[in-house]
Amino acid sequence: MRDRTFAPSRILIYLLVSLFAAAYLAPLAVVVLNSLRTNQEIAQASMIGWPKQWAWSNYLAAWSGFCVAETCAGIRPYMLNSALVTIPATIFSTMLGAIAGYAVSLWRFRGDNWIYGIVTLGLFLPQQMRLLPWTIVLRDTGLINTLTGLVLIHTIQGLSFTTLFCRNYYIAIPHELIRAARIDGAGFFRIFWRIILPLSAPILIVTVIWQFTHIWNEFLYGVTFTTGQQQPVTAALIALSAAIADIPQHGVQSAAVIIAALPTLLIYLLGGRYFVRGLTAGAVK
Amino acid sequence: MTGTGAAAPRTGWPAISGVVRRLPEYLTIWVPLLLSAAHLVSFSLWTIWISFTPSTLVPVSGWVGLRNYTAVLASRNWKIAFDNLLLFGSAFVLLSLVTGLILAILLDQRIRGENVLRSIFLYPLAVSFVVTGTVWSWLLNPGLGIQKLVHDLGWTSFRFDWLVDRDMAIWTIVIAAIWQSSGFAMALFLAGLRSVDADIIKAAQIDGAGPIRTYWHVILPTLWPITITVVVVQLQFAISAFDLVRALTNGGPGIATQLPALVVYDLMFQRSQLGRGAAAAVLMLLILLAVLLPYAAWRYVQRRRATHA
Amino acid sequence: MPITITRRRLLAGSAAALALPAFARAQSAVKPRLTAISQWSAGSDGAAITALGKKFEEKGGIWQHSPVPGFTTEMMNKLRAQIIAGDPPACSQLKGPEIAAWSKIAPTVNLDALVAAAGYEKVVAPDLARLHKPEGKWISLPLQIYSTNMLFLSKRAMDKAKADKIPVTWADFNDLAEKMKAGGITYPIANGGTRPDDGQKFEASFAGISPASYRAAIMNLDKKALEGPEIKAAFAQVRKIANWMDPNVGAQPYATNLKRFVDGDMGMMIQGGWAQGVLRNAGFKFDDFIIAPGPSDNSRPVFLLNADAFIFWQRKEPDLQAGQTLMAQLVMDPAIQTMYSQITGSIPVRTDVDLSGDGWSDGQRRTAAALKDAVANNQAVLSLAHNMAQENGLTAAMIDVLTEYVKNKTITPEQAVTRLAEAVEGSR
Repeated sequence: MRDRTFAPSRILIYLLVSLFAAAYLAPLAVVVLNSLRTNQEIAQASMIGWPKQWAWSNYLAAWSGFCVAETCAGIRPYMLNSALVTIPATIFSTMLGAIAGYAVSLWRFRGDNWIYGIVTLGLFLPQQMRLLPWTIVLRDTGLINTLTGLVLIHTIQGLSFTTLFCRNYYIAIPHELIRAARIDGAGFFRIFWRIILPLSAPILIVTVIWQFTHIWNEFLYGVTFTTGQQQPVTAALIALSAAIADIPQHGVQSAAVIIAALPTLLIYLLGGRYFVRGLTAGAVK
Repeated sequence: MTGTGAAAPRTGWPAISGVVRRLPEYLTIWVPLLLSAAHLVSFSLWTIWISFTPSTLVPVSGWVGLRNYTAVLASRNWKIAFDNLLLFGSAFVLLSLVTGLILAILLDQRIRGENVLRSIFLYPLAVSFVVTGTVWSWLLNPGLGIQKLVHDLGWTSFRFDWLVDRDMAIWTIVIAAIWQSSGFAMALFLAGLRSVDADIIKAAQIDGAGPIRTYWHVILPTLWPITITVVVVQLQFAISAFDLVRALTNGGPGIATQLPALVVYDLMFQRSQLGRGAAAAVLMLLILLAVLLPYAAWRYVQRRRATHA
Repeated sequence: MPITITRRRLLAGSAAALALPAFARAQSAVKPRLTAISQWSAGSDGAAITALGKKFEEKGGIWQHSPVPGFTTEMMNKLRAQIIAGDPPACSQLKGPEIAAWSKIAPTVNLDALVAAAGYEKVVAPDLARLHKPEGKWISLPLQIYSTNMLFLSKRAMDKAKADKIPVTWADFNDLAEKMKAGGITYPIANGGTRPDDGQKFEASFAGISPASYRAAIMNLDKKALEGPEIKAAFAQVRKIANWMDPNVGAQPYATNLKRFVDGDMGMMIQGGWAQGVLRNAGFKFDDFIIAPGPSDNSRPVFLLNADAFIFWQRKEPDLQAGQTLMAQLVMDPAIQTMYSQITGSIPVRTDVDLSGDGWSDGQRRTAAALKDAVANNQAVLSLAHNMAQENGLTAAMIDVLTEYVKNKTITPEQAVTRLAEAVEGSR
């Protein structure tokens, strides 16, 4: 590694870093503190404050207690629904994106640039435009109000990101490797399995993290294309806060937000270093 | 060796037996790509079609010419949203780039606790946009958040009421958006910084360059390609920032922080004016193309130049 | 991809509502079942619909309610998706002129026979009934009523202002606000920053100044009324109110200011009846505030109506049809309306319900009396801010003008009048 012997006042660096860190942590701190205050206290005092009494019961209520209309099972069933959608969709879109990225970058074929351009442009298509067309597609395939329908939507939409990431990563792989393998008689899948996949760990981790986060936190499709007990966790969170004919239950809501965010937070905490590493090779376009 | 002509062999249309043998390959390559491209193209065409119909609650057929477009373009909501997009888009992309770069440079200084710090700057990416918007709407509220805190600490003439100021409210969205996504820029830049050749740095140091000059003249120029990637991803975030804005300002105060994504959703679903919403969506796409096409053309020219070199 | 809703399907709504005889057949051995969509997933709304569901099950039905988290837009998205998929729920929450609009895109059920059997029409305010019979036939049933222009007064604030008279006219109201300011209260009006909040201030002012002008301008979109002196006076009143509100509220709901209201740091609220329930659930006591009808310049109560309702979509399945019959009967039942309103803090739609019992608050009694009085004097009008007076598209365009006016002190009442008229023209 480099040797940074020249140090413009280390104190300045640490100071700057601390200021930034405090700014970045502030929102998390607010939510965590709120999750330990009672609903009434937040309603009677202010949105931001230190707990007067520690309401650990908020977490219990959030996990298994609070009611969404008739069902009082807390956030637990919705977490399961989210997992049932997010995990398959992440896996499928990552694998398909890896193969597509590999094909577009290392196996040139007719029209590959065009297809790649269209798929990447898809990143920019706003999701509001897609809501009604997806309704029609789901209706015609009989998948409306099923978790399978959501998996389908997120897989196909996720292809834009995953192909982009993987293609930019694979492009850095030297073509001699491929050529040598082809001379040895290996075909498309053999090369993918033996050569590409082992090299892909960093970018696959990046893609998985990215996809998991986006699909887990997604709200619009989750609410429109599911019903009742199938809804994902984002829907349950909104249910907690949207009642205007009542004080929003900010204490329990904050606890629910923390619980619902745990999977993605954990993924970033554990996978953070790979995130940086994984973007290294793919960063050079 | 690499980069001259077709470095990887082109697969053309071989004889029938060859096709059958390679069917699994063709299917695996083409089916997902075609599905993705097909859904993008067909959804866009559908939206364009709807924008010319009198659709209100549900899609119907019919033809109203450009009436939806003129109605949208004439509305205050759209004009404000368009101006806001230009301002917000450029400010956000630029500032998140700079923030990410500063964070990456700071983290690159081999300070203690680098892992923890990296997690602190990355975790906002894991948070959903709705939560981000809601929490920042408390923090930036002058009566609830930072201004109140500073007042309570004694400095009573401090003002930070951008959130309720019609002219400054858009900057609160910039702040929340930077918090949410600059971690991504930081990660990319950090990766780039770490992969700069150590010899080049040493050479610069031997030449007597101080830290700032080393960065400015030697290291930062190598980050140019990464910057493009960051810009693309951040631009996408800026265009589609919908949940965050809804939770933070809901287009307010009044309609001062309207953005095209909100206008599209509002027209399509809240006001049950599908035709107009579709027209607004198409206008949004046109704005995007106006930004992306020059870039794509530039890249095309670059590639041509590279292959002819 | 078949993606067109044909004209035939569009017209089917009106045709079917006329053609299908409502439940004339015997309902003998079929167990009633109901699929329902609403936005009432939490709070007292959620509790009330859950209670209704239990009553449904007590009568032997199968209750399948799917709450859509979020606000009305999310619920409408879900309803739209179901309708496009050809699978509308047996009944869904809907209200105001949207009922007429939605009835054109999918077939609804003709409820005339059931309504006649229950004698419902006689006990529903005429303006309200009109909304639920868009083609002359009942297709939806209102369930509960809120007033959006109730006046809440903080007792502690009144003490600070050394006032004890409840304001009746807008002049009284303005006097009281000035007294409160003189008594040390910086912001006499406790407000929220959401769009309905801003809309409520306007409609309370306008309807309080002249309910007849309000009806002409806002409900009937009469051009002259939209440019007349009354509407200008209404905007002037709104400007006064806006100057007495805390500008720092941002986009927060009014609930953020409840504590200051109860403590006497803010003096008055103009809110809907639901605020009673909110105050109670936040732990505040009824003794701390007074509820009165909103100010009305001719001294007789003006009632701004906001009513929730269920619309019934045509289904072929006999068990769903039986469920719809049962649901309709429940919704019109005075005992059910009593139960529902006692949970949510609204008042029943039926004007013949006795509110003297224990489960009712004084505020609810006063509201119900105001409704009766207002209906008798033709001063019961439909709320704009809560999508009762116009369809959502036009309402949103008008509220754009209103919320800009409230938040931007440089817009004059004359300019606001012009902009509002333009918004109405633009949406025609």
